[in-house]
Amino acid sequence: MKYMRHNGEQYSFRSKIQKAGVLKAIIAVFLAAFILAPLVRMFFYIGRDSINNVITSPLTGTAIKNSLVSSAIATAITMVLAYTTAYAIERSNMKGRNFFSIVFVVPMLIPSISHGMGILLVLGNNGLLRKLLNLKFSIYGLPGILLGSVLYAFPIAFLMLSDVMKYEDSSPYEAAQVLGVDRLHQFTAITFPYIRKPIITIVFAIFTVIITDYGVPLMVGGTYTTIAIVLYQEVIGRLNFGTGVLYGIFLLIPAVIAFIIDLNNNDSGNSSFVTKAFTSTNSRLRKCVGYIICSAVAAIILLLVISFVQLGFTGSYSNSTLFTLAYFKEARNYHLGKYLLNSVIIAAAAAFAGMSIALATAYLTTRMESKASRALHLLAITSAAIPGIVLGLSYILTFKNTALYGTLFLLMLVNTIHFFSSPYLMMYNSLSKLNENLEGVGFTLGISRGQLIRDIIIPQCKGTLVEMFIYFFVNCMITISAVSFLATSVTKPVSLMITQFEAQMKLECAAIVSLCILIVNICAKAAAYYLKNREFKTTKLKHL
Amino acid sequence: MYATRNVKLQVRDIHMQFGDKIALNHASFDVYEGEFLSILGPSGCGKTTALRILVGLQEPVSGTIYKDGIDITSEHPSKRGMGIVFQNYALFENMTVFENVEYALRIKKENRSAEARKEIRKKVIALLEQLELSDHLDKKPAQVSGGQQQRVAIARTLAVNPDIILFDEPMSALDVATRLSLRKELKRIQNDFGTTMIYITHDQEEAFAMSDRIMVMREGNVIQIGTPEEIIRNPADEYVRDFVLRNLELKVNSLSKFIKVSNGT
Repeated sequence: MKYMRHNGEQYSFRSKIQKAGVLKAIIAVFLAAFILAPLVRMFFYIGRDSINNVITSPLTGTAIKNSLVSSAIATAITMVLAYTTAYAIERSNMKGRNFFSIVFVVPMLIPSISHGMGILLVLGNNGLLRKLLNLKFSIYGLPGILLGSVLYAFPIAFLMLSDVMKYEDSSPYEAAQVLGVDRLHQFTAITFPYIRKPIITIVFAIFTVIITDYGVPLMVGGTYTTIAIVLYQEVIGRLNFGTGVLYGIFLLIPAVIAFIIDLNNNDSGNSSFVTKAFTSTNSRLRKCVGYIICSAVAAIILLLVISFVQLGFTGSYSNSTLFTLAYFKEARNYHLGKYLLNSVIIAAAAAFAGMSIALATAYLTTRMESKASRALHLLAITSAAIPGIVLGLSYILTFKNTALYGTLFLLMLVNTIHFFSSPYLMMYNSLSKLNENLEGVGFTLGISRGQLIRDIIIPQCKGTLVEMFIYFFVNCMITISAVSFLATSVTKPVSLMITQFEAQMKLECAAIVSLCILIVNICAKAAAYYLKNREFKTTKLKHL
Repeated sequence: MYATRNVKLQVRDIHMQFGDKIALNHASFDVYEGEFLSILGPSGCGKTTALRILVGLQEPVSGTIYKDGIDITSEHPSKRGMGIVFQNYALFENMTVFENVEYALRIKKENRSAEARKEIRKKVIALLEQLELSDHLDKKPAQVSGGQQQRVAIARTLAVNPDIILFDEPMSALDVATRLSLRKELKRIQNDFGTTMIYITHDQEEAFAMSDRIMVMREGNVIQIGTPEEIIRNPADEYVRDFVLRNLELKVNSLSKFIKVSNGT
């Protein structure tokens, strides 16, 4: 028998691996260039003057203390509320669960600054509830910040906790019941160890969201100054970039801690694959309590939306009922239409670019694993550790004298980076769950990787792709953080009109803008829901 | 009896390691044309690595694989004329049973014409009929049973006419009744199509029930290769005696008392 090399096309593993390596390197360089490089660049703006400024300013100490206190309290309230409501919805069969879970995420569809405004409208000097409840204390300052922050952060915590509860296995509880373990010990022995790590992750995430937000304190903070506010004012008002950077570093700390904790948690987590869903067998009392809390939260959220409608279309906080389009017209005179279009363009472009890059990155890290995958994965989730306001600051310092400055493209870019990590992780999880042998089978059948991705992988991840797109889109519509320093009068997104109207004391117009954003986002969500649930028309095959 | 048979695959001195861990230690063996060869060993013995190297999903550190006398060690998986069926099927969940089998044929360049499409349809339908899947053509994989899913995976592989099919513990996820019927099915396919089959398993009973020859592996080494009778008569060492024979004996003994009972009444 003659042994010879086959003359046909040689299949070289090494060249295949190199191709993937090159693609990994390109994405890694892209991410590093637009996440890490601006951040590093930012540090060079710290001078002796700015350090002196920060140290000698009496504001610094107060602001740090205020930030920590308000964020800690708001986080605690948010967690309790979110845990109770998530528990009521995930672990009971009470009526209206679908309605509640829809209403609870409505606050995610409007900018944080709108929540601050909503609090003013409902509880401010002429507020609806204020008169009704005959409240005496001022809402400005800590109480306002707490209420606004809780409202803003609640849906995020609610969704994260619901997720944790959804994937908890019920069989240990059944075993415990059979063994006669009482409820208290069930909690300490089963529930607590299971939720400890996710809860820590969520607490840090919520704390970070609240402490880095300047929208709520800008609106209802009064003289209660927080770090985010000082940063915003230093940069926007006084153009003190160096000082701003120092405050930015302070805001980076909790986010970086959250990032590191999350990293460690993920390494040891996700071990259970088979989970048994809970059957709801709740007592009437618990159902009742859950119902009351859920209704109260839903009522507050809806009250907020109603107060926008009322103020925007009657110009009054409470009693006038005369409908008017005057404020809508006024907002239009301030180019509402143009800025709304800006926002939609930025959001759609960032969503499309972000979705595509995240898909490619997740494919490379999950299904073409190598040592480089791990590094790329880390880089891809790094953006989560950088608060929007800090990212925006680093961008203005890096790009202010370049051709990119003053373009919609720069705003799209900063948003793509800012919101990259969550959609990336969505796709990472989806692709990890797909059968590990798909590529192997495909290759032996003569199906190329490209064909496999186009015809088998992407169709199976359609739902995730829609979710990723909508995540980018909605967040781009509401964000006022990363874009605040980068927008010009030409490229401004519509959300920043609210800060503008707030400065001009035109709250009626701000309410109109908030409603516009809400409506666009509701439409986007509805479209996503429709896309995810519709039966995709499959071409009927005729079998001869 | 095999001296006269054609050698289909020659594996020579294949070595594979991941870091310090040796997965395959300079393994050499032959596979005969049309035979049913089982690779038997506990988990982690290197049998799955051997299979991935044979089919071309992994490149060995050193060594050569010849198929029909031609070196295919660096050949692309699609050009080896081999098919693979995995334990977890890896079906295309977004496609129907029919589309799963049709897809690999449809995307070939030479099959673009309407004429060729027609031929493909005919072929796929005939194939699915042979595997008793005719009633499930338009169902998604999730809508049929585990045994049926496994048959879809087999049909999908058979559609591209491989002369060797490799199975990676294809029955571990199935219940006993389905296993027994699939065993028959596989032997029938082997006869009808004349396909060479390499079957990976950790189940001694399965290996002995189905195989023309069995290759026993341990920690990356090929310990013994031979017909079931040869292995029973002359186990190569204590390990084979223990892992293969003793386990079979235990099974037989645990059942034999019931046989006596049923004979006695």
